[in-house]
Amino acid sequence: MNAAVTQDLSLFHLISSASVFVQLVMLVLLLASLVSWWYIFRKWFLLREAVKQSDEFEDNFWRGADLNVLYQRAISSRYTSSSMERIFVAGFGEFSKHKPGANIDMMMDSIRRAMQATYQREMDRLESHLPFLATVGSVSPYIGLLGTVWGIMNSFRSLSNISQATIAHVAPGIAEALIATAMGLFAAIPAVIAYNRYVSDTEKLATRFESFMEELSNVLQRRAPTSQE
Amino acid sequence: MVAADRRYNAPAKEPRSLLAGVLALLVHIVFIAVLISGFNWKDEHPESMIVDIWQDLPQPVPQSAIKKTASSAQPERQTKPAPETKPDSKPIAETKPHSLKPVPAQASPSPPKKPEIEIKEKAEKPKPAQKDPQPDLEVQKKKAQEQETRKKAEAERLLREREEQKKRELDAQNKRAQEDQQKRETAAQQKHEQEEKARLEARQAAARAQVAGEISKYQAMILAKIKSRIVMPPNLPGNPATEFDVTLLPGGDILDVRLRKSSGYPAFDSAVERAILLSKPLPLPPDPALFNEFRNLHVTVHYLE
Repeated sequence: MNAAVTQDLSLFHLISSASVFVQLVMLVLLLASLVSWWYIFRKWFLLREAVKQSDEFEDNFWRGADLNVLYQRAISSRYTSSSMERIFVAGFGEFSKHKPGANIDMMMDSIRRAMQATYQREMDRLESHLPFLATVGSVSPYIGLLGTVWGIMNSFRSLSNISQATIAHVAPGIAEALIATAMGLFAAIPAVIAYNRYVSDTEKLATRFESFMEELSNVLQRRAPTSQE
Repeated sequence: MVAADRRYNAPAKEPRSLLAGVLALLVHIVFIAVLISGFNWKDEHPESMIVDIWQDLPQPVPQSAIKKTASSAQPERQTKPAPETKPDSKPIAETKPHSLKPVPAQASPSPPKKPEIEIKEKAEKPKPAQKDPQPDLEVQKKKAQEQETRKKAEAERLLREREEQKKRELDAQNKRAQEDQQKRETAAQQKHEQEEKARLEARQAAARAQVAGEISKYQAMILAKIKSRIVMPPNLPGNPATEFDVTLLPGGDILDVRLRKSSGYPAFDSAVERAILLSKPLPLPPDPALFNEFRNLHVTVHYLE
């Protein structure tokens, strides 16, 4: 029945009968989609973990635990520690390095710089691969469109040899060309959604880190005079 | 401490990147499966669409062939009934030989009877020849008695034979009568069929005439409407005629007006073209079946009527 109705329009047939360029475009889009989904899941796990660990650490910190104990715990578990823990370690490490009687302003400046550096590094880690998702989200529809335009061009060029042109001559070519656009959109839509979601998530985390940095510097500044005495 | 800090600040390993890859693959497999099933589902739709299209297409064709183009349907009808009558006449011709054959078959048994009679006559004739010698009376008497008994027997035989002959003749007559009846019936049937055919043809002719009348009536109406809107350019020499091909849409709208044969006077041509376009809802017969007659109109307008 399918053979009688002009052409077999199964997905595999359409892809295999497409021109080499369109197939190449499809391959690129498939890889982009695969990699972007891989990043989507990686970032999802990463951000979820970061939020969870930050919650835990903030909980511990504001419960009034001893800062030295917290510092020791963070140092001992350095590779599994959270971003907020690292910022704390950087700030408290810098604080503990200062001898009592030093200039408080200078000390606070150096503490803030140390925390800022760690914060930048952590944000860099959290924001990694997000540009890739943005690129896939914005470019893959164009790549798909390029494949589609190419395929339609080919199908119309083959039409020029036929004296009596019917839609049946063009339809399979257009259908196989449109698969490229479909794949481009398929790669782009999740990438865009994930990008927007993760950017907002990292921004939320960033504001949390920044506010924690301010609060920690306040706490440390309060402790400085006592150590001076 | 500084070295430790640096080591500490080295980015931590990302959690579960392998699981993320597996999940990404899974998502793609699921999407491809959905896509394939979607394509299979869509594959069936074009079929039904095509079936619909084919069901729709043939309908207008017979309608137009039967109702609208009566003139074109005429030859079809006339040619079609002819093969229908031929098979009718053939069976009749076949039955005739059947009925004719038994007649000679019945005629043939009757001639053999005549020789029998002749033989009997001959047998009777030798009897007087036997009387000629006339030996003893007793013998003669006995012979005479025997002859009488023979004669009686022969007479009885003759009677029986005659009766049989009569019976056979009667049978033959009956058979002939039956055959005649059959012939009459078949003839009556033929007559009946011919009458029916004549009636059908008459009806068709009437319908054709009606259709033709309707068509010519509306053609005249269209021409009249067009002519009423022509603003004739003055003072053209002779009686020029211009011909237009007009393509109509159902409802009387004009799709296309093409100049088929110019009159040689562009003013006259354009006047007629404008008139055709001005008389836009052209009068069309209410029966949509007749529209095919008007789809491509050929309009000829003479300068002088």
